[in-house]
Amino acid sequence: MAVIEASGLSKSFDKKVVISGISLSVERGEIFGFLGQNGAGKTTTIRILLGLLAPTQGSARVLGSDLMHDDRVRGRVGVLLAHNGLYPRLTARENLVYYGRLYGCRDADRRAEELLFLVGLTDAADVAAGDLSTGMQRKIGIARAIFHNPEILFLDEPSSGLDPEAQHMVRALILNLAREQTITIFLSSHHLDEVQRVCTHVAILHSGKILVHDSVAHLTAGSGRTMYEVGLTDPGEGEKASEILTGLSGVGEVSVELNRIAMVLSGVAPHEVVGALVAGGVRVDEARHRAHSLEEIYLTVLQEAEAAV
Amino acid sequence: MNPVFVIMEKEVRQIVSSRQTMISTILFVIIFAMASAPVTLVGEGNPVFLLDQVCFYLVLVLGIFTSYIFTGQVFLKEKQDGIVETLLCTPLSVREIWLGKVLGVTVPATILAYGAAALITAVAATLIDSPLFPSPPVLFHIIVVVPAFISAVSGLIGFAHLLLGMRDIQILNIGIIFGIIFLLTLTRSLLGPGFDVTWAVVWGSLLVAVLLLAIPFQFNRYINRERIVTTLPE
Repeated sequence: MAVIEASGLSKSFDKKVVISGISLSVERGEIFGFLGQNGAGKTTTIRILLGLLAPTQGSARVLGSDLMHDDRVRGRVGVLLAHNGLYPRLTARENLVYYGRLYGCRDADRRAEELLFLVGLTDAADVAAGDLSTGMQRKIGIARAIFHNPEILFLDEPSSGLDPEAQHMVRALILNLAREQTITIFLSSHHLDEVQRVCTHVAILHSGKILVHDSVAHLTAGSGRTMYEVGLTDPGEGEKASEILTGLSGVGEVSVELNRIAMVLSGVAPHEVVGALVAGGVRVDEARHRAHSLEEIYLTVLQEAEAAV
Repeated sequence: MNPVFVIMEKEVRQIVSSRQTMISTILFVIIFAMASAPVTLVGEGNPVFLLDQVCFYLVLVLGIFTSYIFTGQVFLKEKQDGIVETLLCTPLSVREIWLGKVLGVTVPATILAYGAAALITAVAATLIDSPLFPSPPVLFHIIVVVPAFISAVSGLIGFAHLLLGMRDIQILNIGIIFGIIFLLTLTRSLLGPGFDVTWAVVWGSLLVAVLLLAIPFQFNRYINRERIVTTLPE
């Protein structure tokens, strides 16, 4: 069941088209990664989904409602935008309790303690939010966003400004929320590695249009194509290996980088490829299937889009 | 608790914890109140009559000025920092958010206005060495009309802060300061030295305050989330 649905969303400001014809669907329990360069239209799309902006064309529904006109359903959605939404003069605890009470949470004090413990900031509970480090503020921001146990959580660059340890904590927290509390997560991020690690589905946005919308597993598997990588003992044999592979039927997109050769196989078994190399006098060190990284996919998609313009 | 009161409570707490603003505002109120109290000794008129004039005019001025300062803290600062965008994602309507903030300004500004009235009266009584109290219409003015004006001013300015972009707000703020000074000077000169604060004057003032408050209350429907978000600073 789709809990976030956008159909043909377009938005213009003073005749400048920011997003155009965006359609997407996020099922309950998914961790949906929303990727795109700065200015691609991610924030505008999120704002429309959250009911902060009205689309010029198309429609957006979250939990079956248009959030611009449904105050009640907004109470079932958690949001962490680029700004943490924290009041600098209030303490971490006061910030949490304040937002909890706005969402009508009972026993907000106990819940605040629970969340401060969850994000590892119990000791900083009575420190003014403005005196906390950027990373600590981000953690409190996340705790604030999940205070009222939302069904859907919108996270805009949750790891920005965080050190590697804190980034790891945020990733673990996101996975925990999605798996154990079945919260649907809509994650906008520039951290491609982070998206690949935590997201189940992804959309890539470019110049206001969605170029790719698929599951991460399907994308990284190469959309049905078998990616293969062979490691050579001697990097000097790369050219020779490349010639052998280019001559084999069913082997394509051969690329050599130092002692590693990447290729796409179709209709030919990996052991036949390795056999051909060995028979040709190439010393093979290792051979393995290779998944596409999301970064490769992202860059390829963007390059293709820019080439098509 | 109703979320409007949750916002109100938070705003009061934030204003009170803002030491710089609070200290400067309290000092401003004390200095003006203390400086105005000796007016009751000037001339040969009835001290109560003179005290009524000072309380009617000065307590209102101080209340409006305090309201203007606090409104900037409550509405503008939140917009500058971008916090308001998170607040707009909560289950509250824009009108509830606005109302909570206006009440949050009204409470501390009213307390300061009451303090100013008490200080003027106490200093005047000490100076003439005799018990002195404002007349019933002026007491009503201080207790009811002044808070109504404080709410109206906060409501109007807060409404404008939500509606306008940062540059427009800067221009507006300059206009408001000059506007307040002009209106008060005009009112003072129109009332004249023999002006008597009657019940009719007080009720008239209350009507003006209610009408001023009704403007943003009615026009609030024209402020939507999009308008606020698209006027946030980049």
